[in-house]
Amino acid sequence: MPHKYIFHVSGTHCAACKILIEDILKEQDFIKNVSIDLKRKTVEIETNNEQNAEELAQILTIKIKPHGYALSVEKTTEENKKDDVIWKAIPIGLVFLILFFILQKSGILNFGIGGKITPITSLIVGLIASVSTCLTIVGGLVLSLSAKVSQDEVSDTKTFLLFHTGRLISFALLGGLLGVIGNAIGINFTFTAILGIIASLVMLWLGLNLTGVFSRNHVTLPGGIFQKVFSVFRKIEHKTFTPLAVGFGTFFLPCGFTQSIQVAAISSGSFLSGVSVMFAFALGTLPMLVLLSFGSASFAHGKHAPLFFKSAGVVVIGLGIFAFLAGLAGLGIINPLFSI
Amino acid sequence: MNKAVSIIITLGLVVFIGIIFTGGTNRAQSVEIKNGLQYITINAKGGYSPQITEARAGLPTKLILKTNGTFDCSASLVIRSIGFQEILPQTGETEIDLGIPKAGVPILGVCGMGMYSFKVNFS
Repeated sequence: MPHKYIFHVSGTHCAACKILIEDILKEQDFIKNVSIDLKRKTVEIETNNEQNAEELAQILTIKIKPHGYALSVEKTTEENKKDDVIWKAIPIGLVFLILFFILQKSGILNFGIGGKITPITSLIVGLIASVSTCLTIVGGLVLSLSAKVSQDEVSDTKTFLLFHTGRLISFALLGGLLGVIGNAIGINFTFTAILGIIASLVMLWLGLNLTGVFSRNHVTLPGGIFQKVFSVFRKIEHKTFTPLAVGFGTFFLPCGFTQSIQVAAISSGSFLSGVSVMFAFALGTLPMLVLLSFGSASFAHGKHAPLFFKSAGVVVIGLGIFAFLAGLAGLGIINPLFSI
Repeated sequence: MNKAVSIIITLGLVVFIGIIFTGGTNRAQSVEIKNGLQYITINAKGGYSPQITEARAGLPTKLILKTNGTFDCSASLVIRSIGFQEILPQTGETEIDLGIPKAGVPILGVCGMGMYSFKVNFS
């Protein structure tokens, strides 16, 4: 006769955790059935023989402990633990923000590259751009999306590959296009500024989500329009097409470096030279962005996942606020509040 | 880590960020008057310098933006009050006609992303 036990489970930060825990527990011979309720954070286990619940919880915790999970008979005081993590995460996130802004202010990144833009120079410009102020928007977006994807999905590697491929291909193609039609499509400042503001809002939303300010799956935002936009965003988030499209979209995000290279592509005057200049630039930005996305993935599957997600959330919120205020200033809606 | 310690560290870090943002480096002003024309020169590279310039009102004025291997945001300049939006050449000088500025109406320039700015006061 089967025996049923219900345990409280801690450390479940993603939908994939459910699958992982169930797989591990099912490997145990004496367990017949496992089902996890992520919302209530409980595990229901059916076993072949009767055991002491406390002992069983201990035995199973040993199995899943390496992945950062634990089972208990009593509900652990989750609230306190959460508070602790967020209070650790805020200073960590702030330290990263400060390092980033000091780097900008130091002027190390402002060394000049003279002469004509060749693919080599645009590769170098790309490298610089990926650690410069452009990181605020493009990097912030990559970090928040990557962390979110890792949190929700099992197959994050595929999503990241698609995103980076989409980015490289679209930069090359659009670069070629700029080379051919030249000034016919001037880069519109207002358009990019509005895109920047949208990106910063997405970052703020994802950042708040990552820090867990809103309890999971119960994201409530004031205003119907926001909710609609974000529900569409969530729905398309997981399809194959979306990471490609987001990669494509990064071409238009406001970034002074990107714009400079776009102008170079325009003045290059031919499809091939436009392709080579823009592709080299995207290639230059690749290492940093790959590091951000795959780095966050590797943290996301490790033991310190909750701390990582919350710290990343703090960084993303900080960059989001910065990008949002800067975007408003760029549109002339508010006076520039700061200068770095 | 103790929660109280964390909060104190957090507050300290926030103050530090404030200092980073507000502490501007202002270099020498460069306003020249030649043959009745006023020339205001501003360097654009990793931001604009000087960030605040004091100039005279009531004179025909030209703004000169100097770029020197500038690839960052400061190359994409927007001056809304005169409808100027352009991506400056990577290296060179761009002359912008400001007409005859009135006293007390400053000219505000921001880069396309809005993170760098400069201001010219006329009096």
